[in-house]
Amino acid sequence: MPEKPIQGEKRVFVTGNEVVAWAALAAGAEIMYGYPITPQNEIMHYWTRMIPKYGRRFLQTEDELSAGFTTVGGVLAGRRAFTATAGPGNTLMQEPISMAEAMRLPIVVVVQQRGGPSTATVIYSQQEVTLTTLGGNGEGLRVVYSTATHQELFDYTIKSFNTAWKYRFPTFVLGDGYQAKMRESLTFYDPAERGIEMVPTDAYVGRPGMPGVDRPPKHMRNTYNMEEELYEVLQGYLADFAKAAPEIAEHETFDTEDADLVIISHGVVSRACKMAVRDLREQGYKVGYFRPITLRPMPEKELQEVAGKAKQLLVVESAQGQLARLVKEVIYGSTAEMLSLFKPGVGITSEEVIARVKEIKG
Amino acid sequence: MGKPIKIVLAGEGGQGVQSVAEILAEAANEKGREALYIPNFGVEQRGGVSVAYLQIGDEAIGAPKFQIGDIVIALSDRAVIRTRKYVGPETVFVYDSGIENIQDELPTNTDKVYAIPAIEVSKKELHPRVFNVIIMGAVLKATGVVAMDDAKKAIEKKLGYKFDKNPELREMNFKAMERGAELVAELL
Repeated sequence: MPEKPIQGEKRVFVTGNEVVAWAALAAGAEIMYGYPITPQNEIMHYWTRMIPKYGRRFLQTEDELSAGFTTVGGVLAGRRAFTATAGPGNTLMQEPISMAEAMRLPIVVVVQQRGGPSTATVIYSQQEVTLTTLGGNGEGLRVVYSTATHQELFDYTIKSFNTAWKYRFPTFVLGDGYQAKMRESLTFYDPAERGIEMVPTDAYVGRPGMPGVDRPPKHMRNTYNMEEELYEVLQGYLADFAKAAPEIAEHETFDTEDADLVIISHGVVSRACKMAVRDLREQGYKVGYFRPITLRPMPEKELQEVAGKAKQLLVVESAQGQLARLVKEVIYGSTAEMLSLFKPGVGITSEEVIARVKEIKG
Repeated sequence: MGKPIKIVLAGEGGQGVQSVAEILAEAANEKGREALYIPNFGVEQRGGVSVAYLQIGDEAIGAPKFQIGDIVIALSDRAVIRTRKYVGPETVFVYDSGIENIQDELPTNTDKVYAIPAIEVSKKELHPRVFNVIIMGAVLKATGVVAMDDAKKAIEKKLGYKFDKNPELREMNFKAMERGAELVAELL
């Protein structure tokens, strides 16, 4: 039995891509399938460099379609499997992810968002929110964690394997090019030492015994002959998702109690918004902070409460309203004024958020 | 406590600004401080101006990039043009005195604009390859983000294997750092 990748707790100063590789190792991921695309390449670089010592595996495929489908295959065989991609790779991967939704396969996908549409920039954006939460032909039966710090990148990469295998929905860690490439400190830990038990995996296919004799045959479908058959299956899935949603949904909030204006953001942009809210509070502005950590499912009840109290909601994102659309769907009926600071494909600083709030408040 | 020190380092690919930022960030991290370093990656990796954004403080750091730096260091003519947008009234702007025909491009919204002969000193007194370490010394002196000894430890950690083979390199790097600090001390 190879030794554990992380023993005890260790403060480190590394890039986000390195964090993901370590977290997947710590989570007991057995195999990564991948195809290179900036800015997530180093996840597979670090993974392949580290795994020989720990008996884990890697397969480089010919494209992202294949990387997605082989991840599906790994999960069918009962392996804790994952892949990572970005931008146009995320677009291609929606096909296998849709199959994972259809078969309730707990694949884990790490996305480091880059600029779009198309090849655009290799640098950064928050423009893969719609694609990651609702991509594919289907109903978005998936979980998406949007991380903001390297510590969260570590925590939620580990957690994503457990969410995926517990609820059997494809699960995403949604980062971005900044998080991928920047260095900051965090603490590595072994999940078991923190009392985090990894949800056991099991094989969907290839189980021992003769099907129909020793065990019931396993019948996995992503194709149906009749409308009603599909409808019935989906009703079950949708009910499962609705039941799981409140257990899965996470958010972070402060200073919303007496706030006239609440700033809503996610991911790395929430760092700028957090600083902005603190600064603005010091200057006497009644502003609050709300951040969905899960973009799918959204923290609906908590967001509705905030929207019910605040007069204005300011959505800040490095995209043209992809988060805002998710927010509006949740708070439908709220009379709060919707305001925005959208900078598609570009980073947002706390200075810009402060300036926008001052512009609104006059 | 308070806000982090925000540093922009910019130069031509190969001038080593990313290494400087990384070593400074690691030195700060080693001392238990909060540091965030992000390179401008993208097409700049393949030639052109290389920009490093570095923040060092005592509390969790906000957005990885920022609008106005506390200190902005530009090491080529293109780097000056590229980074002057990060200059505000309080910014210390440092450029290399060897950059020609740059007078009209220098930022005018701060009166703390200083030229240091880092390229010249590296060529004449030390070695061109430690040019970036001179810059590191200059940043250390100008910002006080980490103690000189801690920065030396961080260099040792990074390059110790090279120093072991050639101890003169260690001397040269440490000397470069001290010279960089002196160049800034004369100005401030």
